[in-house]
Amino acid sequence: MDFLDLLTSTSARALAFSTPLLWAALGEIYAERAGVVNLGVEGMMILGAVAGFIVGQTSGSPLLGLVLAAGVGGVAALVHAFIAVTLRANQYVSGLALTIFGLGLSGLLGREWVGQPLVNSMTFVTVPVLSEVPVLGPVLFTDQYLLTYAGLVAAALLWFVLHHTRLGMTLRTVGEAPVAADVAGINVMAVRYGAVAFGGVMAGIAGAYLSVAYRPSWGEGMTNGMGWIALAMAIFALWDPLRAVGAAFLFGAFFTLSFRLQNVFPPELLTLMPYVFTIVALTLVALGKGARSFGAPAALGQPYQRGER
Amino acid sequence: MRRTVLVLLLLLGFALAQSDTLKVGFIYVGPVGDAGWTFAHDLARQKTIEALPNVETIFVESVPEPEVEPFIDQLVAEGAQVIFATSFGYGDGVLSAAERYPDVIFGHASGVERAPNVMTYMADFYQVYYLNGLIAGALSESNKLGYVAAFPIPEVKRHINAFALGAKEVNPEAEVEVVWIFSWFDPAGAKEATEALIDKGADVFAFTEDTPTVIQTAAEQGFPSFSHYASMLEFSPDTVASGQLVNWETIYIDFLQGVIDGTYTSENLEDLDYFWLLQDEAVEAAAAPGVVINPVHEEALRAAIIDHPEFGEISVYDLVFERLAQMEVAEPTFDPFTGPLSDRKGNRVYAEGEQATLAELLSLQWAAENVVGPWEGEP
Repeated sequence: MDFLDLLTSTSARALAFSTPLLWAALGEIYAERAGVVNLGVEGMMILGAVAGFIVGQTSGSPLLGLVLAAGVGGVAALVHAFIAVTLRANQYVSGLALTIFGLGLSGLLGREWVGQPLVNSMTFVTVPVLSEVPVLGPVLFTDQYLLTYAGLVAAALLWFVLHHTRLGMTLRTVGEAPVAADVAGINVMAVRYGAVAFGGVMAGIAGAYLSVAYRPSWGEGMTNGMGWIALAMAIFALWDPLRAVGAAFLFGAFFTLSFRLQNVFPPELLTLMPYVFTIVALTLVALGKGARSFGAPAALGQPYQRGER
Repeated sequence: MRRTVLVLLLLLGFALAQSDTLKVGFIYVGPVGDAGWTFAHDLARQKTIEALPNVETIFVESVPEPEVEPFIDQLVAEGAQVIFATSFGYGDGVLSAAERYPDVIFGHASGVERAPNVMTYMADFYQVYYLNGLIAGALSESNKLGYVAAFPIPEVKRHINAFALGAKEVNPEAEVEVVWIFSWFDPAGAKEATEALIDKGADVFAFTEDTPTVIQTAAEQGFPSFSHYASMLEFSPDTVASGQLVNWETIYIDFLQGVIDGTYTSENLEDLDYFWLLQDEAVEAAAAPGVVINPVHEEALRAAIIDHPEFGEISVYDLVFERLAQMEVAEPTFDPFTGPLSDRKGNRVYAEGEQATLAELLSLQWAAENVVGPWEGEP
């Protein structure tokens, strides 16, 4: 296999593999931009995966499964929102609890669905004409799922909303300076609830991608740590939706390369690289500009209560 | 007063019921819903209860390997008299717990170290992988067979070699390209490893991973593959050619019957190692129970005629059944690891007619001549 083949096939697989990472990371970026860390991504994803499969299997429609999975992810996130925003409990503990809860509940609900192939799975598409374009054709337009394209479009939209709309400004203000937002008449609670729920919806879709498209079946623990990678990606992308596309692609490329370059590099090293980059990137940016300015929302992880401070 | 009597009666009844039942605990490394290794053990547990009415079972799942001891404590506290630990990594924990509970009987799946109250057991697939290799070698058009492998340990290497030896017997051009995923359970890794193999030109797939992912991914291109541990035929009825199926219950039932009879006690297990194969009916070469070769592939395999040193002109379809017949009898007349065999570095491993011993199979490190890919620990 020559270099160009390696480049295109790796890129194409990196996109397909990283699609759920992108969806989940985009959701987490919005939640964290509003000041709420949600370590429950893995739990929400796996609930989305099991819901998507069960609904897809019983209805015969993977799309319906996906929609329901989004709803389930959102509802699961609301539990976290209630504990973290309304009760102002420790966000990290609550998120972790959501992950453990999600893994356990999905295992229980999915017990009877193990060992079945999905009746109708989402099929990948090859875009006519565009797939003939050199390099970009095989990378972007051959055998990809629509959800991969939707994820890229979502990233662009979310970037625009975050940086160029009033809604985005509101969201960022709530995450940076909730007191100021409150003074300006913004309902901090409502914005945070909304952002966390949105994060859940995105994680639910990410999970369903796995069970109705990427690997159309249900298996306990099938997200296998992807939620945690998505969390790391939100940081690696410095809480920016467009950079998340790059981060997802990089994670995906290293992951697929670890199977393609085994004769050259130790595969463990390649899968480790994205995490090394996360640490290096954070360190560099923090050293260069001062810790605060590397993009972490100032009020990240802090519960807000009017009248305090 | 009346309540006290009632409670006493209940306790008495409970004690009586307890006295002639054997309580057996199972420790699983994965979730029972993994559709692979753990799923197969749990299926066997259920079949064991059906076969031995006096056996009562409890199980714990997803037990991390270093944390097995507290779970053993828990099972013993719940009254388990026999405990099966179903992962290689439980070894140290089992041996240490076995010293603390000398009256409890332990079984350690895929283990190597025993004690007076610890036996080891394994249902091994190497003959089955060889049979699958015969099929794969005949079905491949690119002469490149893909193997998605878990860890570079003797068990997996033995299976890859057996698969490669089978393929070579019917197709001297056939190579087995190996990609390692360094996990027993990693659906995304298995998927991307398969995609990488497809890009390298592989067109028939075998694997060691606990999900049907490789089968589903290969099926997207219409490429044949093999069930692993559990029947995966329904995941792709048109492409699963054959496979490796396990019947752990054959071992569980045989051993527990021995415990019930008093043949096996907590004092005489030091030398008891079940390494059960085709002839013990512990494993099966089949896509789904009873389906040795998927009828979809029968025509192609019947059409693949080779000139065989032992059987003369024979179709690969018939060869599979000939070899199966040689291996499933009480005293097998054929073993895939029989010389002359060389490793891929050109070293002679077994001379003409020489056969691998069990100990050699259990510590196998060499790579067969037609295996391609990285191979940690290669001699």
